[in-house]
Amino acid sequence: MFDSFPFDEWSDEIDAFWTFGPGGSTGTYIMTVLGIILMVVAIVGWVRLEDTKLRAQAEALRAAGGLPLPGLDPGPGPSQPPFAGPSTDPGT
Amino acid sequence: MNWILALGGELPLPEKVSLDSSILTEQFYFYTVVLMWLIHVGFMAYEAGAARRKNIMSTAMKNILTIAVVTPTFYYFGWYIYGCFEEGWPKDGHNSPAALPGFCGATAPWSDAMGPNLQDHVSAVFFLAFLLFSWTTGSIMSGALIERVRLSAYLILTVILGSVVWIMDAAWGWSSGGWLVTRYGFHDAIASGVVHGVAGAFTLGVLLNLGPRIGKYDREGRARTFRGHNTHLTLMGLMLIFTGFYAFYAACLVIQSTTFPGWLNIYLSPTTLGAIALVITVGFAGGFTGGWFASKGDPFWTLSGGLAGVISVSAGADVYHPSLAYLLATSGGMLAVFAGVWIERKLRIDDAVGAVAVHGVCGFYGVFLVGIFAGGYPTGINSVESSFGGQLVGMLAFLPLAFLPGYAVSWLLKKANLLRVPPEVELEGLDIAEFQQDFFPEFERVPETIVLPTGEEVDSAAVLLDSFSQVTNGHRPGARIGS
Repeated sequence: MFDSFPFDEWSDEIDAFWTFGPGGSTGTYIMTVLGIILMVVAIVGWVRLEDTKLRAQAEALRAAGGLPLPGLDPGPGPSQPPFAGPSTDPGT
Repeated sequence: MNWILALGGELPLPEKVSLDSSILTEQFYFYTVVLMWLIHVGFMAYEAGAARRKNIMSTAMKNILTIAVVTPTFYYFGWYIYGCFEEGWPKDGHNSPAALPGFCGATAPWSDAMGPNLQDHVSAVFFLAFLLFSWTTGSIMSGALIERVRLSAYLILTVILGSVVWIMDAAWGWSSGGWLVTRYGFHDAIASGVVHGVAGAFTLGVLLNLGPRIGKYDREGRARTFRGHNTHLTLMGLMLIFTGFYAFYAACLVIQSTTFPGWLNIYLSPTTLGAIALVITVGFAGGFTGGWFASKGDPFWTLSGGLAGVISVSAGADVYHPSLAYLLATSGGMLAVFAGVWIERKLRIDDAVGAVAVHGVCGFYGVFLVGIFAGGYPTGINSVESSFGGQLVGMLAFLPLAFLPGYAVSWLLKKANLLRVPPEVELEGLDIAEFQQDFFPEFERVPETIVLPTGEEVDSAAVLLDSFSQVTNGHRPGARIGS
């Protein structure tokens, strides 16, 4: 039943349409550059965000004066501290 | 050709057949990509199972974010390296006739071939198949580094490995116009060295800078063993990897459904899909057998032996007789166990899942075997005979190409204090610091255990505390530990 559709005409129209295309045009160069910027920013962001988290957690552990090892009795206090076991459980 | 006309039945039969063939090719690679996702599901389960409870999500997240970083980097420059670096550096006048005319230009991210091009059904799915190979190289490294590497450091390293290093060696030795192929007859049909060996060598370079997990070695340098939190999950992960490997093998071939012989290997030499599938199956059988006997029935090494067996016969999978593949895979399964134990106990390198032994050692072993058992095979469009010398040249090119960037980049990250998590965080577990939660909240925590070099399994708290003291130059944490 699809034979009745004018695919040859449609394909000519679609061939000429590509968002910011066609290939090798200014539009595709700009999109490529924007994508590369996002890629680099994301990688730098991962590094910085994780570094912040790890430093904060290590500092909290040092400040608490002890290191909780999973499996040991966590003592009194919340069984699932939201952040840094010892920093929220100073009574032990 | 205006292919749409075919739908209306107005094209001559040969053009209809040609359209049908291109659609078939498109579907073939598409479904290999779908099935190759299982490799990454498998790696995630495998590594998460091997991790201790406190590191499950940080381990799994590495595998997930591999996709987030390797995909764009491979699109923006990795694919271009494959298309244009066959001679080592982009230039005209390759040693070989242009096997794929215009391929270099088609790999640029702004190329027509990478978009919705009605005249090109193949380029995009072919790219995707290679992208999945790239994820695989990252996942190979991933497991070795677990429980102490920073997530972000791993992501940077996997970009270098997945979007630069491996694809460079693929351009050299895993393409129809690569200089190793056209000049030396280098033959690595299903990527023993190109994917596995190179990923293993890169990983070795990283491990040298990363160092072992706290508590892995005692004061005399003897290895202890950590208990993964779920061995069943690890074994299921390996089985998923094996399933995905069939798609990996299939995607390494070139399909030409309207031209005899229908299937070509990556060098455009004739082969069949059936022969490849038979060798991989026999390879698993041999690898399991070798791994079982060499490890005296250890479950982890039995399944890893299967992987090692397949990797050992991959380079020659298009030419090996099944019986030969069975024998060689058995030897590969055994080799992985011996190499893994040697790396852990003699070199004192903490490779958490044996990736260097299974992928690195057995990958290069597979390349080596082709030089012995498939010498004389006419490889590629120049029909250069494969030889032990040619295979050796390939190995000598790949080893530094892989090892040096792994070592150098991880060294730089180490100097910037961005490679490894702080020791306090490592002892507590990475999941709390990275995600602020425990991922088995409804289950009671039980004491973590560790296996001493004597084979005795003990509560790990005192052992880890002592090791922590070593790595922090004698600093003793507060009395909360063990109290």
